[in-house]
Amino acid sequence: MAENEEVLLRVEHLCQYFSMGAGRELKAVDDVSFDVKKGEVFGLVGESGCGKTTTGRSIIRLYDITSGNVYFKGKRVCAGVRSYKNAIKAAKADFKAGKITKEECDKIVAEQKEQIKLAIHDHKLSDKEYAVSLLEELKKEYTAKFEEAADDREKLLALKKEFKSKCRIAKNTKMITKIQMIFQDPIASLDPRMTVRDIISEGMVINGITDKAYIDETVYNILERVGLVREHAGRYPHEFSGGQRQRIGIARSVVMKPEMIIADEPVSALDVSIQAQVINLLNDLRHELGISILFIAHDLSVVKYFSDRIGVMYFGKMVELATSDELFAHPLHPYTKSLLSAIPLPDPEYEKKRKRITYNPLAEHDYSVDKPSLREVSPGHFVQCNQAEFEKYVAELSKN
Amino acid sequence: MRKKLEVQDLKISFRTQAGQVQAVRNVSFDLFEGETLAIVGESGSGKSVTSKAIMKILAGNAIVESGKIIYDGRDLLKISEEEMVRLRGDKIAMIFQDPLSSLNPIMRIGQQITEAMLLKNKTMRKTGRMEFNAMLKVLRDNMIAATSSDAENVKKIDEVIKTFDSFNIEALNLENAYNTAHTTAIETATQIDDTLFLHEKKQKVDLKVVATTVVNRLKKVENKYLLNGFEEKFVDAKNAFAASVGTVATNPEETVKCMKAVSELLKEITSAEKPNFFRIGYYKFKNGNDDFGTKTISEINAEMLDYLNANFMNDFIELEYQAVKYAYMQSIEKKKVALKRVAELRTLIEAGNFTKKSIASCRKAAVDAVKASIDHLLPVKSSTDYTFESSLKEELDRYFFYEIKNPKEEARFARQTAKREALIARGKTVDWKVVPKHIVDLNELKSHILGVLDDLKANYEDLIANAGTVDFRKISVDLIDYFKEKASLVVYKITRSLARKQAIDLMEEVGIPEPRIRFKQYPFEFSGGMRQRIVIAIALAANPDILICDEPTTALDVTIQAQILELINKLKAERKLSVIFITHDLGVVANMADRVAVMYAGKIVEYGTANDIFYSPAHPYTWALLSSMPDLDTNEKLEAIPGTPPNMIYPPKGDAFAERNKYAMQIDFEEQPPLFRISESHYAATWLLHPDAPKVDPPKMILDRIERMKKKEETDNG
Repeated sequence: MAENEEVLLRVEHLCQYFSMGAGRELKAVDDVSFDVKKGEVFGLVGESGCGKTTTGRSIIRLYDITSGNVYFKGKRVCAGVRSYKNAIKAAKADFKAGKITKEECDKIVAEQKEQIKLAIHDHKLSDKEYAVSLLEELKKEYTAKFEEAADDREKLLALKKEFKSKCRIAKNTKMITKIQMIFQDPIASLDPRMTVRDIISEGMVINGITDKAYIDETVYNILERVGLVREHAGRYPHEFSGGQRQRIGIARSVVMKPEMIIADEPVSALDVSIQAQVINLLNDLRHELGISILFIAHDLSVVKYFSDRIGVMYFGKMVELATSDELFAHPLHPYTKSLLSAIPLPDPEYEKKRKRITYNPLAEHDYSVDKPSLREVSPGHFVQCNQAEFEKYVAELSKN
Repeated sequence: MRKKLEVQDLKISFRTQAGQVQAVRNVSFDLFEGETLAIVGESGSGKSVTSKAIMKILAGNAIVESGKIIYDGRDLLKISEEEMVRLRGDKIAMIFQDPLSSLNPIMRIGQQITEAMLLKNKTMRKTGRMEFNAMLKVLRDNMIAATSSDAENVKKIDEVIKTFDSFNIEALNLENAYNTAHTTAIETATQIDDTLFLHEKKQKVDLKVVATTVVNRLKKVENKYLLNGFEEKFVDAKNAFAASVGTVATNPEETVKCMKAVSELLKEITSAEKPNFFRIGYYKFKNGNDDFGTKTISEINAEMLDYLNANFMNDFIELEYQAVKYAYMQSIEKKKVALKRVAELRTLIEAGNFTKKSIASCRKAAVDAVKASIDHLLPVKSSTDYTFESSLKEELDRYFFYEIKNPKEEARFARQTAKREALIARGKTVDWKVVPKHIVDLNELKSHILGVLDDLKANYEDLIANAGTVDFRKISVDLIDYFKEKASLVVYKITRSLARKQAIDLMEEVGIPEPRIRFKQYPFEFSGGMRQRIVIAIALAANPDILICDEPTTALDVTIQAQILELINKLKAERKLSVIFITHDLGVVANMADRVAVMYAGKIVEYGTANDIFYSPAHPYTWALLSSMPDLDTNEKLEAIPGTPPNMIYPPKGDAFAERNKYAMQIDFEEQPPLFRISESHYAATWLLHPDAPKVDPPKMILDRIERMKKKEETDNG
């Protein structure tokens, strides 16, 4: 359904490890790569604890990632350094073992150190650079305007005032705010002591907008956009039902005019009827505002209904990635098959016959010799497999 | 199929600051043996309240306004808390929504599973003896009253009773010894299994220590009834084992082999036939010894039966028969008197204008008469006469309460309305509303009181009419069984390690791998699905008849959800459980349910088999639920239900769903629809089914989906 092929978000070899003390590490997300195109909904599914949420949170920098890169609109917004450090270690070990010469080793170390420097720079300063570039653009725009209005003193003063406020906003703008997040639990993610107006406008205030009338107007518009009414602006979160709270969460993320939304299980905590309301709302927003959505969920029928492409995760790894129709029509990876066979459908006769396929990674795969990687089995359809499995999958696809 | 549970006309409301919330309104359904009834609806539709009412664990501010929940011939809403404790968890168990909050975080899993077993066993042992003695005393009194009260006869009866009591004690001693040996045997087998398990896992086990304890324990197993028929085998195994213990340091494999053999033998021994100690006890009491030579257990059982009957039981049963008959006839006479008293009370109440004082003497007379008419010698107790006093008190109290409260409420309402109107008349803005009056119809309450009286009357009249056909022989035999059961409760002791064995078996049954290791862990060490399995194991520990599952999989993800559902289905088939399954996920319902009840705003709006509900839904709310849920082939826009459920403090006058229903007609806002019958099993409460209503088709999306499902069905079959 993606109208154009422009890549909005690119995640490359994302790794997120958590320290568990005593030098042990939990590999929550391990080497995950995917793209999200402009205007597309990318679904991320998997059982709880497989790293879906961690992936989402890493992308908007709620965690500092361990290794890998995240590019947003072609610019690197997150970067980890672990892979470079590992390369240095490996080079030094190779040198000690006598596999490479001193010069080669030094060269590799210097290269990797340069990479680390760049990564840290991008990770820390991408927002600042973005702000600086915005400022420069503004300056360019207004120098021309100033010259034009040089004769008219009053006009010049007004322009200068405008320029000043715009500069303040530009200075506070961060690249990362173009990605917004909707959290899973609508109760826990809203501050109980703030009114709905405060909650929704908080981002704008932090951004440096001081015009009260403008803020109010925007809040009212957004509230109506998500199916609430103006009067709700003065209320507190506890006065709303679950579905309405989730709408407030959506309003808060949409008000910053994001280009991308990370929706972390936005409907899991809701009743069926309210689920439908929220999904319809997200669908409308996406079509009207052209927002891309990274949709994280474990309810597969909802994901199928809502997403253009789907990535299946299992224990921190992406095991299969395809368009949603392709994935449901020709699942290849055994875990995907097991997942699909567990979906309950509102059809009693079918349910009586449905047999669940169990997935046991130790029994299914033999990775002792040939390590698996994400390979493209057919155009746009990626599966985590080794060479032998790859051939099997290709044969399986061509049979259908 | 047999009805397990019957819910009739249940009405529950909650007292809150804002007013009375009517959570459940006139809900009725039946639950049959071995079936799953799913209750579906949005949150706040009263699903959970209904299930909690069945368990009698409603919140403190809940009021059960009317209705009956009949289980095993008794009304759960009327029986006392003490009786409910015996049913709750034992006969009716519940799996809660959130497994984490229904487990104790600082108690080990094993302790949580065995806790109820041990506690229950302790109380049973205590009460068993008390009930035995009480019943024996009643029997003695009735025996004397039935024959004659001269001194010689009393002496004779006392002697018979004493004999019965003494040989029972003798039997208990024997049974106790047998039970102890039996338990030790099971424990030893379990200990050996545990050790071998660890040994196989290559963990460090001190085989020598285990072997010596096993040798010591084997001595305790030597009970002649337990080892009957196994003596030689046992001695051989024991000797071989003792010999291997000596060489454990040099040849551990031999010890392991012997251990396995002992464990196998013990399991065989423990599953052999149990001797009838009631009979053997009498033989020992008479002859002072219990030496039967080499007879097998079944031979002893048969021989002792004849011996007991010839020497004692025939006479005893004859006496007992007279006593039972006498007590029954007496109670029938007293029931006739009680009926008169109740009828007097009924006329007083029916006439109206009664006060607490005016009916006090009549009420006391009726209650006393009913109390006197209870036949204490019946082993099976009926509930109507036992609960008569409490239910009468409850209904009367409510009547008197509202008799005083209603006028007060009227006055308050009038006062507030007047104040409000006065303010408006003065042209002020009034930003508060008058709290609507809560008036309870006294006539309805009166009919409830009469209902209690009528129930008792019907029950008694039935009993009196059938008095001629009662089989007193059967009651006498039942009574002896009752004595035996109570007596053996006293000596049935569940030790910690026996409970542990049962718990491990149970954990294995619900699919927890390596239960021996898991047994010692804390809840936080388990994943969501495993935790839910533990909760299921706890619920199943008492082997219940009815299992209530309150959204057991809502918090879990698809794969684990599928596992849990399969588990519940498997257990249901194995144990013939009846399941009440509460959920809002229609996919799960299609998987689990035999029958489905759709609830909205405290009422059942549609009721039918799973096929009825999914292939030919009739109520607009069911349509809305189905069309708001995407399946794998849905591409069109979902039809969300607009608006929110109504505020149940002020329930709407007509159909509760009318406000959100695009098919609503004028009558939906004016009058509540009755349940219309669509087929034998399918009912729905919507005016659309009225013959005069215009014909309306379900939304296109649902029709398409049903079409698709049918097509898939055909392609699958053909």
